[in-house]
Amino acid sequence: MVRKIFKFFAYTLFFLAVLIYFTPKVNLYYLLEHKLKEKSIVINDEEVSDNGLSLSIKDATINLKSIQSAKIKEIKIKVFGLYNNVSLTDISLASVVATMVPTKIQSISLSYSVIDPLHLVASAVGEFGDAHLSFGVVDGVLHMELHPSKKMLSSYRQTLRNLIKSKEGAYTYDKTFKF
Amino acid sequence: MIKLSNSKLLSIASLVLILVLVARTLSLALMWFLPSEGVSLHIQPNFQPKYQRVDFKNMLTPIVKKVEQKQVSTSDGGISITNMVLKGLYGTKTSGFIIVALKATPKKTTILSIGEIFSGYTLKEIENNSAIFTKDGTRFTLMLENAKKTASALKQSKQKRSVSNDNEPISQQVVTRGDITYYAKHPKQIWKEISIREVKDGKQIKGFKVTRIAPNSKFATMGLKKGDLIVKANNVELKSYRDALNIYTKIDKVDEVQIVIIRNGVEKEIVYEIN
Repeated sequence: MVRKIFKFFAYTLFFLAVLIYFTPKVNLYYLLEHKLKEKSIVINDEEVSDNGLSLSIKDATINLKSIQSAKIKEIKIKVFGLYNNVSLTDISLASVVATMVPTKIQSISLSYSVIDPLHLVASAVGEFGDAHLSFGVVDGVLHMELHPSKKMLSSYRQTLRNLIKSKEGAYTYDKTFKF
Repeated sequence: MIKLSNSKLLSIASLVLILVLVARTLSLALMWFLPSEGVSLHIQPNFQPKYQRVDFKNMLTPIVKKVEQKQVSTSDGGISITNMVLKGLYGTKTSGFIIVALKATPKKTTILSIGEIFSGYTLKEIENNSAIFTKDGTRFTLMLENAKKTASALKQSKQKRSVSNDNEPISQQVVTRGDITYYAKHPKQIWKEISIREVKDGKQIKGFKVTRIAPNSKFATMGLKKGDLIVKANNVELKSYRDALNIYTKIDKVDEVQIVIIRNGVEKEIVYEIN
């Protein structure tokens, strides 16, 4: 009996791996692009490549309402069902926002896994410091905790005023989204 | 001899092959419904000629006298550049024209293009606020008359603003660099004082409508009113957020911003002088 269950799981995992490998990830990415366009977000000048189990997008320019908003050196999308991750590295925000936040972000990582199925978690590191974010997929609650860098503390006080300072020195932001 | 069909390895291999085939078939079926091309942004170049206000009334009268003026100017080489007034200019560094006059006869203007001579001075370049002349190998800069405005002149124009008639097709306003710097540092403040939303003609943006202006705010004194539709800024039709942002990002480099609005169905021009 145990052997049969083991065999069943082995075949299922194999099937999922093959399915992920054969899934037309580039075409799925095009579908995502069309969906984003409806929200006036266009990803431009990117080089998309299917790496078998993941999708890699290099040198992408993000345009929001036709305004160049950010440049991203690399985006890696891994969708395994049980564990899904999107990582963005070397991000430069447009100079327009330079008065509000530092424009260089080293990395952003967004993850969703079955271990914590009710939350989507993200972390980011950059000139602003480091931030951790969690989003409740059921209750729509967004919670962000920011540990600002010296640069952020000295030059972007105006932005930090929008956040709540905790006793530990971190800055938090909470918002509830209604679906 | 063991039959090949009874081999355990063969059954596993065939099952694996079936799973691969099923996965491949599913992916091909999925591909059928997915788009084969992505989305890319094509930005149509928005022609932006250099903007500089010129008093055309001054330009029209001296055209007839241009030849006569030239003759006088070539013979009269002893006039100092400090006796000259730059009344207007239009163009880039290497092309365009300027309107000059002598302080003694400010109404008697002359139009010069690059390379032409006035009172012994050869026009070499046109800058944003000045014209560069050369004489005997020395460079001279003649500043635009408006750029030399003193604080008292500024006050006068502010007074003029307060009495400006709403029905006038063109109105002149004064904005300080300090205000621009303040709003650049506090962008949230802009949206506290003014609300603007896009107005579309089908899918195409045709302008940005002022939906709210906070009373007693800076924006309330800038000639804009609730309901105004801003359609142009510095000769650029505002057909996208990008066009609007381009004006915003270049505001540090210009001395004047001209916007065209539609108020109650009538086109009106507001010119902001940045001091």
